[in-house]
Amino acid sequence: MRRNFLLFLCVVLTLGSGRSGTMNGQDSSDFRVVVSMVQLNVAVTDKNGNYITGLHPEDFVISEDGIAEKMATFAEGSAPARSVGGAEVPVAQPSEGGSDGTLNSMIAGSEIFVLFDTSNYMYRDFVFAQDAIAEFVRSLGSADKIAFYSYSRDLLRATSLTADRGQVLRGVRSTVAGDSAALYNALLLTVKDAAQTTGRRFVVVFSNGPDSSSVVPPEDVAEMAQSAGVSVYMISTQEAKLEPISTAVFERMTAQTGGKAYFAKSWKDERRAFASIRDDLAHLYNLSYYPKANPNTGWRSITVKLAGEKYGKYKVRTRNGYRLQPTRFSAPRKTSALDTQPAGSN
Amino acid sequence: MKRRFFLPILVVGLFACASLSATGPLDVQPLPAASTVSPSEDRASSPQDFPIPGPLRSFLRMAGISQQIPVAEVLPSLSWNVSALGFQGSDRPTEFLVLLKRYVVQARELSELAGGDGVIRVSNCEEAKPLLRILGYRTLGQCGEQGTSLLTADAERAFLTVDSGFPLTDLEQTLSGGKPFEYPYPSTRVPVLFAENDWTTASSKNHIERSRDLLDTILEDRSMSRLYWAVSKMDPQTAIYLRQNVGIRKLLAYAPLLDFYGTHLCIRNGHVLVPGGSSAERAWEDLAGASPAAPAEFIPRLLLKDKGWLVAYFDVLSIVNSKQQTEFTEPKRLHRFYDALRPPDRSSNAARGVFRPSPWLLLLVSQTHWDQNAQPSVPGSLDVWKEFLKKDSSRAVREREKNYPAKTPEELLEAMFARARKETDTGTLQAYITLVDLDSKRSPAHRLSPETARLMIQKFADYSDQYRVFSEFPELSDASISLFLETAEELAKVPNAVRANALGIMQANIGLWQILARQGQIASADLDDSWQNAVKPFAHIRAASELYDAARNSLSQLSRASIGKTAISQDDLIELLAGPRQTTIEGKRIHREMADRIRSVLNGQRIVSLDTLTVLGDALKSKESGTTPPDYLFNVAGELHEFEMPQPMFTKGEREEWAARIYNNHHTDLQMRSNVGAILKSPKASRSQIEDARGQLTSFLRDTLVALNYAYYEPPGAQALHNNPLFVRSHDFAGETVEGIKSLWQAPQLFGVGYPAGGGAHLVGSLADLPYVLADLEQDFIAPKNTQALIWKELVPSLLTSAVLPRWWNVSSTEMHAVTLYQKAGEELLTASANDEGLRNKVMAILSDRVLPRRSGEVEEAMRAGQVSDIISKMMPADTFYLAAEFERRYPNEEASSGDAGQELARLREHHPEEVSWKRLSQDFGVPHPTLGQTYARELLNVPPLPAFSGYASRLLGESWDSSNLYWARLADETGRSPAELNVLVPELTERMVEKIFATDFEDWPAILRAMREAGDEFRQNKMALLTERPAQ
Repeated sequence: MRRNFLLFLCVVLTLGSGRSGTMNGQDSSDFRVVVSMVQLNVAVTDKNGNYITGLHPEDFVISEDGIAEKMATFAEGSAPARSVGGAEVPVAQPSEGGSDGTLNSMIAGSEIFVLFDTSNYMYRDFVFAQDAIAEFVRSLGSADKIAFYSYSRDLLRATSLTADRGQVLRGVRSTVAGDSAALYNALLLTVKDAAQTTGRRFVVVFSNGPDSSSVVPPEDVAEMAQSAGVSVYMISTQEAKLEPISTAVFERMTAQTGGKAYFAKSWKDERRAFASIRDDLAHLYNLSYYPKANPNTGWRSITVKLAGEKYGKYKVRTRNGYRLQPTRFSAPRKTSALDTQPAGSN
Repeated sequence: MKRRFFLPILVVGLFACASLSATGPLDVQPLPAASTVSPSEDRASSPQDFPIPGPLRSFLRMAGISQQIPVAEVLPSLSWNVSALGFQGSDRPTEFLVLLKRYVVQARELSELAGGDGVIRVSNCEEAKPLLRILGYRTLGQCGEQGTSLLTADAERAFLTVDSGFPLTDLEQTLSGGKPFEYPYPSTRVPVLFAENDWTTASSKNHIERSRDLLDTILEDRSMSRLYWAVSKMDPQTAIYLRQNVGIRKLLAYAPLLDFYGTHLCIRNGHVLVPGGSSAERAWEDLAGASPAAPAEFIPRLLLKDKGWLVAYFDVLSIVNSKQQTEFTEPKRLHRFYDALRPPDRSSNAARGVFRPSPWLLLLVSQTHWDQNAQPSVPGSLDVWKEFLKKDSSRAVREREKNYPAKTPEELLEAMFARARKETDTGTLQAYITLVDLDSKRSPAHRLSPETARLMIQKFADYSDQYRVFSEFPELSDASISLFLETAEELAKVPNAVRANALGIMQANIGLWQILARQGQIASADLDDSWQNAVKPFAHIRAASELYDAARNSLSQLSRASIGKTAISQDDLIELLAGPRQTTIEGKRIHREMADRIRSVLNGQRIVSLDTLTVLGDALKSKESGTTPPDYLFNVAGELHEFEMPQPMFTKGEREEWAARIYNNHHTDLQMRSNVGAILKSPKASRSQIEDARGQLTSFLRDTLVALNYAYYEPPGAQALHNNPLFVRSHDFAGETVEGIKSLWQAPQLFGVGYPAGGGAHLVGSLADLPYVLADLEQDFIAPKNTQALIWKELVPSLLTSAVLPRWWNVSSTEMHAVTLYQKAGEELLTASANDEGLRNKVMAILSDRVLPRRSGEVEEAMRAGQVSDIISKMMPADTFYLAAEFERRYPNEEASSGDAGQELARLREHHPEEVSWKRLSQDFGVPHPTLGQTYARELLNVPPLPAFSGYASRLLGESWDSSNLYWARLADETGRSPAELNVLVPELTERMVEKIFATDFEDWPAILRAMREAGDEFRQNKMALLTERPAQ
């Protein structure tokens, strides 16, 4: 019988407790940070890029800022997550957590947000890109949920997270060519939507590359994705490879978040890239841990290694850290329920 | 208020220009309702409508037209899109037009395929072949079996297929063995203005190819598409007259002029109705060279005179209210002002470009104030203006002014007309308009002195955006104005290393003063003193530590003026900015929420607390005098280093190559190198080191104070404020990151948009106009709800600003209820007008102040036809509000016209005359007009929808929308919300409204109204989850 666990056990740490006294007798420089359980999507490959399967929890060594961490849950591929080493993972309280934050959400497959560039940069490849995305959507496992968004100057939430492939495909085919490109604005909103969900969360970006209208830089988006545990995959058309800025961003953002970048020279390459992403999602390990006490209130680096020399030849890919969200002045903002509602179609 | 509605074009506007002595209706027949037709029926269609091939939805997608548009608007909107977006250079079609034309071809092919009954049917793979060829797709996999999908075969056709929204997914299901595919593919008849051949035969393009129909004509003939659009906006009676008496072919030559200036042309009883009425007819006849009594002669001459400048003059005078019309159309004035305006040579064309030129002509005519002797008011003195007129403008103007040396106020005004065509935002004319308006708000005893006026004109080019605060607070004396300008000039002398922080801190404190003054937290009597006290400390800054002291001193003065004590903590300040202290549970909850929002931005920006900066500064000061700081302060100083730059994605070299001068974090770099903690700790620190450490705090203090300003004006849906921690820190007050910034004290400009290696967008310049600039920056994070929603980028920042800047802490429930009653009473008047011609004439006369002639005609016709409820749902709330208020003013004794709401309003007025007064409601529920009125004070201006201008003046359009806050107030009142709740409801409802906007062109006002009502309806039906939910009872 499946047990429900509360995944997001919030640990409220008071940092800076070594400080004492204040201007008025209290130390106002103390502030709270909320540290949730940290989830990692981890790919292990050999030198040829082949996935290494069948690893066990004890094969992984996780550390945060050099502090060894104890794994709480482990899963391979789409298999159910299980608690590790007697880690105490509290049973979910339905009245508090509902379905969110339970292991159920982790074992129900991945939650994949597809973000499609419909800006004028994409114009020439628009129809081929749609074909490739449609094929990708059809090919995903039935347990996966997909949201389909598109962007040019603005973000359009064409289809909200759903397991209904027909609905997603209609969203894909309903896109229209737009104008200027605000990739990082749109990606920020997409990552924030993904961060609202639980389980294995991925964003797949299909873009020509250039950004002409964003006001937020890719660094902030990458940090948001890293901090939320959202892996970002980016497929670019050939032009992006020729455009060094986008190439740099695509490669680095995906590396930082544990995803992958692809530069497709043709629509066949685009299809291959999508196939590779699908393959990647099917072979990821999902690990989690509760961070041990750590005075660092800023950026925390994460390292995942394989234990033992026999695994030394393998490559491990996951996000490389996260940033705590400071709450010096107040609790974080509430999020409106309407923020992630789907757009209608015309 | 606005121009386009669902009624067929020819039946509307029978009584347009009602306020300008309208006569009876013409004998015209209404159009049949729009309907769908099969191809076989096309040939039999009425000459007054036209079949658009294929589903209308697809056509609208391809033509860039809102899906929500009434069918009567399809051809006018198409015409506008084609003329404005369809061509580049000399008639070379844009990609938009190329695709649209290709789509029309594809749609005709598909219509043919659909056959007589207009349905495309496919039940097997064989039948699909011709369809797939047209669509540009092929099957992948074994057709007919599970898993068959479609792949692009012909990219050009496939693009049209998906872009027009063909249901490919359904077809794929059929080809995978699913149920037969049936897709209705009807043409849709849409109304045609006049008859199709009016347009097709008049087009010179069709002489080459006569088979072209109306759609082809619009797509091929740029002039014709512009004329179609222009005429469709005109008063229908006038349009019919012109068609019959001038002819479409001749009108083609006037298409650009009719587009810009045609909406106010009105013919009634064989006369062109002119601004100023019958008494001005003679003067207009002299100017045009033809009598208004001969419209077929008068209008062409009016249009062509001086390359359109006479009709531009005519149009502007038509827009302004009747008082201004009367003043400006006094025959001598009309002549002399036009003589000044008209171009001295033939080079200037009033119809050039996509947008109307010369917004300043409109502002000059609308903003001119008259003294008690009906003379134009003169801020300062005539002599002051003469000084500047001599230095300004072209040789031709100066030559002209040798004969008219501005010896009288009228001659001064005339000199301003001579400058109204000049394309500048900072000339003498602009200074005149600003100062006239500013001066008019001051009491007669406190008009601007000549010296102050001289100073303000002198510095106008550098400080004009700062003058808004003096207009908003006329209590500020000449001394305050001078002090500000002198202090600002002094800051230019501050050493480079200190200047940016000095500029930022002084402006941030002024910004805080402005907020507290606006919220009534600084008593009116203390405004002038508190301003000076806040500004004075910055007068003689030379070192960073002096700046630190000045900043603290200035802030203490603000604190003293608002809460009566000089010490103020971070929390005190946030609570103050959140609004006046509340006593009710609901008020306290809302207040807390407002404070939390400010804190949320401070968190996002990872700002150092004001308390930390205060205590560290005090400790350093004490250390200077030999007091050893307590140990805990070493940890407190650690807070200065908690901020970390985002994890880098680019190398330094890449930044320099890919974002030269855009990426500049000099300010943050210096902060990271600060050594305040070490100096505090060091027993050997020298006096100068301690002094230097105190100076280091200024850059943190700047960020904290500036962030409070940013946070206060946070637009709904903002993301940069929460997710780019460099945003506030990157504000470039000293112009270090860009070249070519003319003045650092003018409204900030946005840089770094679309530069991935640039570290994010940032502002360069001052904090003036911050509410609008932030709204402009954050607006693109509002995600539209509709596919291909065309959100009106030019309007949204003004909408957001009008939602964020007003606060409703000092508004009573009585006031809010009065806003509801005014709107309802206006609706009652409209209803009562349906069967009362006398009342209807009065109502239409009032509405004509705010409503364009065409719209006015639609309203009146709907009332005659008994379609009042329909027209009410399409009335702007500001129109019904104004109607009731103005009706009461003009006809105070006509209670017989009052319905229930009107009577309740009368009782309310009797008991609460102040709260129900127009002045009070205008101040509390109006919107700011920083461009139109040069102030952020709220006001209901009662202007008709203003036309689109380019550049800075494009904001005029958005500022003429003043319905939202009135509507939200009514919504809150009718759903039992308190006025305090408006503080959080209005921004959220406005965000929801913006998400729903689905507009076609710049002036698609009905789209804004639809979006607002949709948001309101969802709120009423509890379908909207808002951030601000009331706690469960």
